[in-house]
Amino acid sequence: MSSKKKVITLRSSDGEIFEVEEAVALEWLTIKPLVESGCTDAIPLPQVTGNILAKVIEYCKKHIGASESEDRKILYELESWDADFIKVDQGTLFDLIRAADYLTIKTLFEFTCQTVADTIKHKTIEEVRHIFRESNDFTPEEEKEIRGKSWWLQGL
Amino acid sequence: MSRLFSPAGESDFCSGGSLLTKPKEASLFLTLGRHFDLYFPPSCKRARVSAPIVLQGNQIRTEKKASIDVLPDECLFEILRRLPGGRDRSACACVSKRWLMLASNISSDEFCCSTASVPPNSNDCHGHHGEVSGLSADEDMEDGFLSRTLEGKKVNDVRLAAIAIGTSSQGGLGKLIVRGNNSTRGLTSLGFRAIARCCPSLKTLSISNLSSIGDEGLLEIANGCSQLEKLDLNRCSSLSDRALVALAKNCPNLTDINIDSCPNLGNESLQSIGQYCPNLRSIAIKDCPRVGDQGVASLVSQAGRFLSKLKLQSLDVTDVSLAVVGHYGLAMTDLILTNLCNVGERGFCVVGNGHGLQKLRSVAVTSCQGLTDLGLEALANGCPNLKQICLRKCVHLSDSGLLSFAKAAASVDKLQLEECHRITQRGFLGLLIICGETLKSLSLINCLGLKDFAMGSPRLSSCSSLRSLCVRNCLGFGNSSLAMLGRLCPKLQHIEVSGSPGITDAGLLPLLENCDSGLVKVNFSKCTNLSDKVASAVARMHGWTLEVLNLEGCRKVSDASLLKIAENCPLLNDLDVSMTAITDCGVAALAEANYLNLQILSLSGCSQVSTKCLPSLKKLGNSLSGLNIQRCNGISRSSVDFLVEQLWRCDILY
Repeated sequence: MSSKKKVITLRSSDGEIFEVEEAVALEWLTIKPLVESGCTDAIPLPQVTGNILAKVIEYCKKHIGASESEDRKILYELESWDADFIKVDQGTLFDLIRAADYLTIKTLFEFTCQTVADTIKHKTIEEVRHIFRESNDFTPEEEKEIRGKSWWLQGL
Repeated sequence: MSRLFSPAGESDFCSGGSLLTKPKEASLFLTLGRHFDLYFPPSCKRARVSAPIVLQGNQIRTEKKASIDVLPDECLFEILRRLPGGRDRSACACVSKRWLMLASNISSDEFCCSTASVPPNSNDCHGHHGEVSGLSADEDMEDGFLSRTLEGKKVNDVRLAAIAIGTSSQGGLGKLIVRGNNSTRGLTSLGFRAIARCCPSLKTLSISNLSSIGDEGLLEIANGCSQLEKLDLNRCSSLSDRALVALAKNCPNLTDINIDSCPNLGNESLQSIGQYCPNLRSIAIKDCPRVGDQGVASLVSQAGRFLSKLKLQSLDVTDVSLAVVGHYGLAMTDLILTNLCNVGERGFCVVGNGHGLQKLRSVAVTSCQGLTDLGLEALANGCPNLKQICLRKCVHLSDSGLLSFAKAAASVDKLQLEECHRITQRGFLGLLIICGETLKSLSLINCLGLKDFAMGSPRLSSCSSLRSLCVRNCLGFGNSSLAMLGRLCPKLQHIEVSGSPGITDAGLLPLLENCDSGLVKVNFSKCTNLSDKVASAVARMHGWTLEVLNLEGCRKVSDASLLKIAENCPLLNDLDVSMTAITDCGVAALAEANYLNLQILSLSGCSQVSTKCLPSLKKLGNSLSGLNIQRCNGISRSSVDFLVEQLWRCDILY
């Protein structure tokens, strides 16, 4: 990293201005070309709100450089930091996924998706529907076909 | 399960859920807002739905949960493919249609089951490692033994995806049949993609009447189901060569292909099949206007070394195709040619002269004008191992062609002629004499050229090999011909002479006397002039061998025949006396015969059978597996009900 850290300016959908180091912004593949082209204006991010963008930046700052570390202690600390970081409500979590998807931040996207997947794990179908507020739009016959004779679905 | 899915009465736990998801209902009980949290028993709720990370109890109570609908499909897809095991994947597919379609579109190599691709902080995975590996082992045993059929209105993407998901967790889908109809809507390539992604073990695919399905659907199958062995495409008008070329390239195990009425499949498809499917054994092509000589020629010239069955029907092919078949069909054992209008006499001549069809055992030709006397003879010359031949509606075939064929085809043992009206008694008799040593089975069906004939000379060598003879609906066939047959064919075991009103007792009796090896199957149906004499003679003379007797429509047959049958036929298991003059007494005689062991009995249309025969039928019913009492107006409705109830092992038609 160069000693003179270049700073990129970002503008969220609600007009908030954020400043991040170039190294962080380069991890965001969607805006990477803009950053590389030496754009000095504030980059508008119309799909991300200020509070979400703050979280995203917080995550990326923490992770830059640290994810590749070999040191078990650093990794362990990062892990527990992540666990705290992701203690957010469901709406925020979904917003984070969408932001990570929109900005193409691989690490954050994988992490947030995995978090949701872990939530689903070991739940019954009805519990999953309840948690994610999905309503059952199957006909009974369709549902029977999917469930089939799977022993593990019988009890769900 | 029933508790969770009871439609209305949600249990304690679910009542919270239903209030959340159906705000209108909730408003019946309370004003919407934060207050409704009071209705949740907090401890219960936390225990059931609190997730380790996302759902902290406090947040749930203060905030309405966000629906996952805000996430675009690709994000939900990414989430679903991060699920650890088959159980969770299957459970997610059951959540809603959207989840099902996404979950079914994940192919097995897209699942990130291993911890390698998972961020390091998902330590949850390690904790359940044992279970995860256990499940994946479970999935490995997929060998695709399940079979599913989807028909009519049920044909849509959701059902197909449901099958894909449902079978993938139960041992894998092996056979899929999809039959659409005019009302089929909602099936797109997405459904087939689900099958392709979830059912890599698919071996048989049969789709029919899906005019809406284009190449995309089958391209998915080609990419995902490389173990496909049997493919059946019927009336899929939007499929083009692109789909079939891809299938041929990606599915090297294809052995059986059937293409029927697919107007956009053409020569290119056949060429690829020939080129890329080294295991092809059987192919049938019907009614595809874009298939021509070029396609058939390139298919057969490349696949001829291993292709054993070929059927060409209603195609715009000419003599060229047949020439290629005759030259390259080295492995061909069965050849079926139907309704090939543009194949001429020359075509059949070159099939024979090609000398490629050395292994051909069976040939069937229907409605081909090119099959003339010359063509048939050439065919016989070129196929030295021909055993079975079936000729239908060959309008140009005459006696002399049949006889020269008989001389050339030394090994034919089964011959069937149907609607060949130029064949007369001369050809028929000549055939019996020429093939007297080899022919085992001869059928003449609807051959109106056959007249009754009497040949004075009794010095004919006998046709000692013929075991089975069928003369059906040949109106000219009469007593003299039968008498001749009796002298000629003493070894008959199966005889059918049906639909010949000219036959009387006098003609049949000598035949019955001459059959010295014992008749096993006898069918004289619709020979309206036969009487009890014949039926009694059959029972008396052949009772010890007779297994099947059909006297349907022999109106003069009455109880006397049944008495003889009851006395003499211990092996008889199938008796049809429909539309005869039998009465209750006859049925009673059958019932009283001690050693009679009937399994199938048909009395349909016997107007003189009445309710009085009920006890007899009940007794017979002990051994019967099938009973036909349709149009027996003398049997009352309540009696039929009684029988149906009593003879529950027997299949009763009424």
